[in-house]
Amino acid sequence: MNKLISLIKTDLNITFGLSSIIYGLKAKKQRWQIVVFGIAMLSLLPTYIVIVNVLFDFYDVFKEIGQESYFLLMGFLASQLIIFFFGLMYVMSKYYFSNDLNQLLPLPIKPSHILTSKFISLMVSEYFTSLPIFLPFVIIYGIKESAKILYWIYAIVAFITLPILPLVLASIIIMILMKYTNIKGKRDFVRTITAVLLLVAIVYVQLLIQKISQQAILEGEDFYYNIARDANLLARNLGLVFPPSIWGTFALTNFDELSGLTNLIMFVGIGLAGFILMSFLSEKLFFDGLIGNIEVTASKGKGKKKDLDELYIENKAYISIAKKELKMLFKTPIYLLNTVGGVVLVPIILVMSLSIGDPSMEPFNEIIYSNTDIVTLVLIGVVAFFGIMNSVGSTTFSREGKNLWIQRTLPIKAKDQIYGRVLASVVIQLTGIITLLVSMFFIIKLNFFSLALIIVIGLLSGIVLTQFGMIIDILRPMLNWSSPQVAIKQNLNVLIGMGVALLYGGGIFLLVRFMFNSIDIWIIYLLVSAILTISMVILFNVLKTLIDKQFRELE
Amino acid sequence: MLSLRGITKSYNKGQIKAVDNVNLEIKSGEIFGFLGPNGAGKTTTIKMIVGLLKPDEGEIVLDGVNVWDNSLMAKSMISYVPDNPEIYDRLNGIEYLNFIADMYGISKEERKEKIEYYTSLFNIKDSLGDIISSYSHGMKQKLVLTSALLNEMNLFILDEPMVGLDPKSSFNLKEIMRKMCDEGKTVFFSTHVLEVAEKLCDRIAIINNGKIIAHGRIDQLRDDAKEKQSLEKIFLELTDNE
Repeated sequence: MNKLISLIKTDLNITFGLSSIIYGLKAKKQRWQIVVFGIAMLSLLPTYIVIVNVLFDFYDVFKEIGQESYFLLMGFLASQLIIFFFGLMYVMSKYYFSNDLNQLLPLPIKPSHILTSKFISLMVSEYFTSLPIFLPFVIIYGIKESAKILYWIYAIVAFITLPILPLVLASIIIMILMKYTNIKGKRDFVRTITAVLLLVAIVYVQLLIQKISQQAILEGEDFYYNIARDANLLARNLGLVFPPSIWGTFALTNFDELSGLTNLIMFVGIGLAGFILMSFLSEKLFFDGLIGNIEVTASKGKGKKKDLDELYIENKAYISIAKKELKMLFKTPIYLLNTVGGVVLVPIILVMSLSIGDPSMEPFNEIIYSNTDIVTLVLIGVVAFFGIMNSVGSTTFSREGKNLWIQRTLPIKAKDQIYGRVLASVVIQLTGIITLLVSMFFIIKLNFFSLALIIVIGLLSGIVLTQFGMIIDILRPMLNWSSPQVAIKQNLNVLIGMGVALLYGGGIFLLVRFMFNSIDIWIIYLLVSAILTISMVILFNVLKTLIDKQFRELE
Repeated sequence: MLSLRGITKSYNKGQIKAVDNVNLEIKSGEIFGFLGPNGAGKTTTIKMIVGLLKPDEGEIVLDGVNVWDNSLMAKSMISYVPDNPEIYDRLNGIEYLNFIADMYGISKEERKEKIEYYTSLFNIKDSLGDIISSYSHGMKQKLVLTSALLNEMNLFILDEPMVGLDPKSSFNLKEIMRKMCDEGKTVFFSTHVLEVAEKLCDRIAIINNGKIIAHGRIDQLRDDAKEKQSLEKIFLELTDNE
């Protein structure tokens, strides 16, 4: 038991960098980072307040039809599904790709203990993800229903146990995936592809369940009668996507009855049972997936001897930097999932939910064809969003980690750094654009001008947002990481970058909206392009100064 | 010629002086050994020369170029091999070497010649197509050495270069260092291995607690010592007294 506690303590310390935070606080220089953190959080606040306000209205809508339990269910579902999806990526990198594994494996520790310590760190990080989602639902419901103290106690218990089951599921899926994809050679590639396909499949199944249960509710002729008679109709049917969330919901809605307690016990119980199952499975699965993972195949000179002459390729410095960035992104599964994975998955899921969710696309198509400009503008926005969502810019220097010395000691011009790193982001953005346009092709046919506008203005805004990300990352690069996951997933720069992008993009959005009905659309496109180009030039110069300065002064 | 003029670096708001007013002049064509116990300030000094740590005070000048005022030019004149070869382990060997060569702007013919020569010498040529994470510590060290030798540098600076190298590669590296000096280049390296310093260096400096406590030719240092001692004894005596 002592071993386990010590493992958990160490893992928490490494994951959240507690020792380094304390060390950092002692050095005055790093205290301003807390201020930066505060500002980053504040920049996200306006959006958050809008969302919470919308939730209040949502509650009222469901209250009106007597289905307020569905409101709570949404809270449970949203947080548990998000934990599950992020969990899949977190689990993969944390269990199989963190640097401490090399030190842990030779020690006499049971696989289930290693897993438990990592599981608990993940749970703690998931609290930070799920709290802002879960809290508004529970608080709004509690206030509106003027709930008693027992409700709040149940809510706390539910919150604490909330991440267990989704993470257990994610852990088991990934352990099985890693065991059976432990194929020599293209291991990382096979795993990444399988993980992406798995994600798409899971989303597909869930959308399908949702559609079937929606239809089941709507099909009966007694829909209005049923909805009036059964206050939990929606919650019970739509919660089928993830049944435990129904128990959590009923525990809170029926807190003053015995059924509330039994539902809470079921909610907590299934989590604990899952955890025990996972520990048991880990003894059989964990090392199998892991051991091959650490060993790397080397040809020891016996491998295929290519003509070395082909291998000496001379490139311009910025091309070489871009190539290196892309190679590192594509060869590190965790980077690939978070950069390319994101920009490829989002359009696929978007299109999937559009085509599955609504049985008939006719009305939707009509809207699109009569408003080509709006569709074009929205798609430009989506493409721009890829520019920041791919996190390539906002983690570009952080991803160098301990290797940053290489570029700091080489005679590289700041402008080559910018060209190269922006180019890498643009390439990733392009993969997103291609997926988006190909998947959109199944829904709507866009004309040539729309396509050209989407690509050109979308890429231009992507460059600007990448530059914003790079500015943030060069100001506070996260270089001391133990696992590549930390550089991209626990990197606050990604969040700050999104905050800045949201403010900047929001500004342009408001401007376009303001002009939309009064000014010719081509002038709007021109104006937006001009703003983006000017921003790009200004940011380029800021970035050049900052890279020069930081490459000299980082310690 | 490399000049360190009064360079100082401190941590924790000046409480810990890692390097304290170090002055050194190292001539072109000279192999200079930098000795000292663990934590004496060797790596900090080296990092200040190569542009990784900015000195609090003082200046570093290489062949008339101020390393910190004209860093791009200085960097193209310096090749650096760190004590711990942390490199892009997801690239393969040849990809890494091509990347470094691109940064120095080395032509295809020149890089081909040098890569083939040095990787054969260090016996890693057949592994160039493998991913770097499959390399042993010594192989990574050799790859970093090769990458550093691609550049036509004025100053070759190495931090503990012999650690992790097999005897043959260690011998080859010493030969390379000697040859570079004959070509008029400056070699500056830190080491724990006193025999290496004794056999290879034209001059040495011993640093302890951030201060240079002795420097000069080894025979000079011997003469200064009470009796003709080995470098090891001199080293132990000097660093013990501090």
